[in-house]
Amino acid sequence: MKLKRALAVTLITIMAAGAVACGETTVSGSGQETGTAPQAEDEQVATADAPVSDAEGVKPYADIVLGEDFTDLNTEISFFSNRTDLDSEDYGGVTWKEYIEAFNEVYPDITVNVITDTNYAEDAKTHLQSGDYETVILIPAIDKADLSSYFESFGTLDVMNGQINYADHWEYQGEVYGVPSTATAQGIVYNKRVFEEAGVTELPKTPEDFIAALKKIKEHDASIIPLYTNYAAGWTMGSWDDYTGISATGDVNYTNGTLLHEKDPFRDYGDSTHPYAVYKILYDAVAQGLTEDDYSTTDWEGCKGMINRGEIGCMVLGSWAYPQMEAAGDNAADIGYMPFPVTVNGKQYALAGPDYCYGINKNASDDEKQAGIIFVKWMTEQSGFVYNEDGLPIKAGSTETKLSFDNVEFLQEAPAAEGEEDLLNELNSESELNYRAGGDRRIQLIIEHASMGDMEFDDIMNEWNEKWTQAQEALGVSVNE
Amino acid sequence: MKWLKSRKGQQTVIIISFITVPLLLLAIFTYLPFAQMVQFSFYKMKYLTPPDKRVFVGWKNYIDVFTRDDCFKALKLSFYYCAGALFQLALALFLATILSFGVKGGNIFKGMMFFPYLISGIAIGFIFKFFYTRGFVLDSILGIIGVNKDILPYWLKDQSVNNWSLVATSVWRYFGQNMVLFIGAIMSVDAELYEAASLDGANRFQQFFHIILPSIKTIVTLNVILSITGSLSAFEPPFVITGGANGTGTYFVIMNEIAHVTQKVGLASAMAVVLLVIIFIVTILQKLFFKYVFREADA
Repeated sequence: MKLKRALAVTLITIMAAGAVACGETTVSGSGQETGTAPQAEDEQVATADAPVSDAEGVKPYADIVLGEDFTDLNTEISFFSNRTDLDSEDYGGVTWKEYIEAFNEVYPDITVNVITDTNYAEDAKTHLQSGDYETVILIPAIDKADLSSYFESFGTLDVMNGQINYADHWEYQGEVYGVPSTATAQGIVYNKRVFEEAGVTELPKTPEDFIAALKKIKEHDASIIPLYTNYAAGWTMGSWDDYTGISATGDVNYTNGTLLHEKDPFRDYGDSTHPYAVYKILYDAVAQGLTEDDYSTTDWEGCKGMINRGEIGCMVLGSWAYPQMEAAGDNAADIGYMPFPVTVNGKQYALAGPDYCYGINKNASDDEKQAGIIFVKWMTEQSGFVYNEDGLPIKAGSTETKLSFDNVEFLQEAPAAEGEEDLLNELNSESELNYRAGGDRRIQLIIEHASMGDMEFDDIMNEWNEKWTQAQEALGVSVNE
Repeated sequence: MKWLKSRKGQQTVIIISFITVPLLLLAIFTYLPFAQMVQFSFYKMKYLTPPDKRVFVGWKNYIDVFTRDDCFKALKLSFYYCAGALFQLALALFLATILSFGVKGGNIFKGMMFFPYLISGIAIGFIFKFFYTRGFVLDSILGIIGVNKDILPYWLKDQSVNNWSLVATSVWRYFGQNMVLFIGAIMSVDAELYEAASLDGANRFQQFFHIILPSIKTIVTLNVILSITGSLSAFEPPFVITGGANGTGTYFVIMNEIAHVTQKVGLASAMAVVLLVIIFIVTILQKLFFKYVFREADA
């Protein structure tokens, strides 16, 4: 009897455990492979007073002359990075090992241990919290107010602005705590060879030129898909919204300010700018048969190889996608990156922003800090990392980049005005347009209507305007006529 | 204490201890969230709206469900899945009957037809995306048997066929499972009845309609109810294969979009409650219908 009772209890425990385990399964989100930098979160990693560190004994970033200062410095530092792919011997570009070897040619006595992690965003925070973290660490999403309790300042904002771009990304009370490892931009990834062979010698700067270029490609070789929409993946559709702000208006306040108070923001402005022009490119391209035959079965993984082999003309994706397209085959040199074809008052704009930024451990010894700063400066100015990874220049004044962005002004979006931080979200929810917030279905519908020809483009835009106006009214938002 | 050691006491202890855990889990993970959902359906809120900022809107969400054009339009897609479900049941019943009369290699057939049910829904999504892609598996097979490629539709793009394409994947996946259930039920029919019937001169069809069908009517009814309610809440095929795009968004897909992308949690909860009521009604109607159909067999 005792045995039976024990058995019963065990069974119950197992059943309970099984049921609980079933309840805990989680579904992971869609595979959005973007590489944007973490923004400062509200989440407090730790609270501490913010003493401005006096870098006594440590020569600041700006004053270091690479290759001359401290070449005899003998110390060992560690570097924590998210780029696990650079650990692999098979990596198409320059690996960490090769970077460190090049670094040691100049600084033979500084040993750099590179540690990488696939779950970087979370683990970096844990490392910081433990208090025992690497000398050079890519700053994860923390509060700006906490920067000074973890990181050594690289210098004041004024000084650093003369050294690097995006110095204000991790700036707090005038001190700069982060130097961007690289920066990404929003544009179009394209196959240079396809464009050249089709006779498109100059990169299109307006929607009309762009459609004309796609047509040329189609006429040149009907087997090439001029513009691949990636309709089926979904999130690739929603990213069209990213071009309607900076690229289509040149207005840094557009998304978080202007749009919210604009009457009928999706109307035709008549000069091929604003969101209207961006979505019209997609509609026209589909309506004129310049996209893939069957949009419902597009294949995200497959498209990388196709553009590499020249079977696709171009795709509308952020520059983070550029290295992936290069690495997808043997024709890396054919792949190029260009700005979005909208010109506002004779000028082109692109949304650009820094990726992860290097920070220096505040608790390290002076020698280690010094070595860390030297390493960061060397990575930024001499390693070629930014260029190799298809980023935008970080060193101030540098123009070294593979992105074909001549005469394009890079802008970053301004944050929402005080008290309006949540207004875009509210309007999105109310209007159900989900602008820049996973509104994939809305963009997919443009393709469907264009393909079936059952709804004119202007009618689609009017419908959105109507929804937007209703949401503005419902939330009592002031509207600029 | 003495009672606890008695046979009756032991029985009670075992019963209570066995029943508490599942009931507790059921209450915590099913009834409690459901009550919360019903409560949400009367509010205007997002997931992260703190309780004190949720706005009580009364029946507005329910009125919206009935007045919005996308909710009930999506429910119309259920007819595709209902039609598919009925075809699936007929096919399963047909194959089950044949296989239960002792076919050579019957077990291999059973296994092969049951196999799709064991594949994960996500994998099926990937399989069929390529299966239906222009010039891929399905087009090639049809090409081999001599169908001209030009008359073939785009299986997932053309809105007049894409819902049928999705229904076909659902049928392919579930008919094997229905079939196995039917075979199980048919096995329980006394074999002597067939012998007696054939002595009386009944052919196979008469045997099926007068012996097999009445004997397994419970399991048929159950399968029909499960299939119809399943088709009202069809989610996996459209969500995985097309993402609900291109006119394939069923009620569940729309509900998911409203809840998780648009974050109108109140409206989505109301949609869920409405669907529950519809399923109740349909189930009751089915019960009445089968009572009517099988009334002679009962008599």
